[in-house]
Amino acid sequence: MAKDRTDLMQGTLELLILKTLERESLHGYGIVQRIHESAEDLLKVEDGSLYPALYRMQERGWIKSEWGVSENNRRARFYKLTRAGQKQLERERANWERVSKAISRILQTA
Amino acid sequence: MNNLLTRMPTDLEVEEELRLHIDFLLRENIQRGMSPEEARAATLKRFGNLDRVKNECVEICRRSRPLQRAFKVCVVLLALTGLILRISSTQLHVGRIGTMLIAIATVSRLLLHVRSLTPSRFLPKNETSSFSILSQK
Repeated sequence: MAKDRTDLMQGTLELLILKTLERESLHGYGIVQRIHESAEDLLKVEDGSLYPALYRMQERGWIKSEWGVSENNRRARFYKLTRAGQKQLERERANWERVSKAISRILQTA
Repeated sequence: MNNLLTRMPTDLEVEEELRLHIDFLLRENIQRGMSPEEARAATLKRFGNLDRVKNECVEICRRSRPLQRAFKVCVVLLALTGLILRISSTQLHVGRIGTMLIAIATVSRLLLHVRSLTPSRFLPKNETSSFSILSQK
């Protein structure tokens, strides 16, 4: 039976990308695969939405990219976290925890 | 200051990157036992609107290229200087310099515009995708 997949909340894709790139540098397809694996296919991420997010994050200096060779021997752009990205990850993680705690409280009391 | 030093991808590099992703998805779907036709449909469904994504990426990259931005500012300043020289100067040769500056600025702006055009902009809008691999029937 197919799992119910939840659409990603606006703004959370960047947090997921930052977290995914925290440990290793990956190309775009690798990032999506890693997010799907970590979320056990419960989250619906439209692959195409990844790239505008990656370019915006690169523009802000949170990530940087360089060309490398993919597992199928093709030229691929690999992304890695910068120091500014690491700080942004901490900020966004703290923000996410605050928001989810607040929503949980509202759901419990309402 | 970090983002000023960032080298954003060119239009062709954006296309190359998206094409690689599409190829990975096609391969993944074919490995799952889909026919090429089914794999193409499933790939497009999972990826979303390819042309919209590509255009959005290209726009982000273009606005982020510091040199190009600086060049655009220079062109505007050049045109303004030319205009001021033409309006304010009573001497003929100074007025001519102003005209020349305006002409240089106009040609530079036109060149920038032409350089930013990509072949996919001239494709009919009803095409599913500008990527040949997905347009095959």
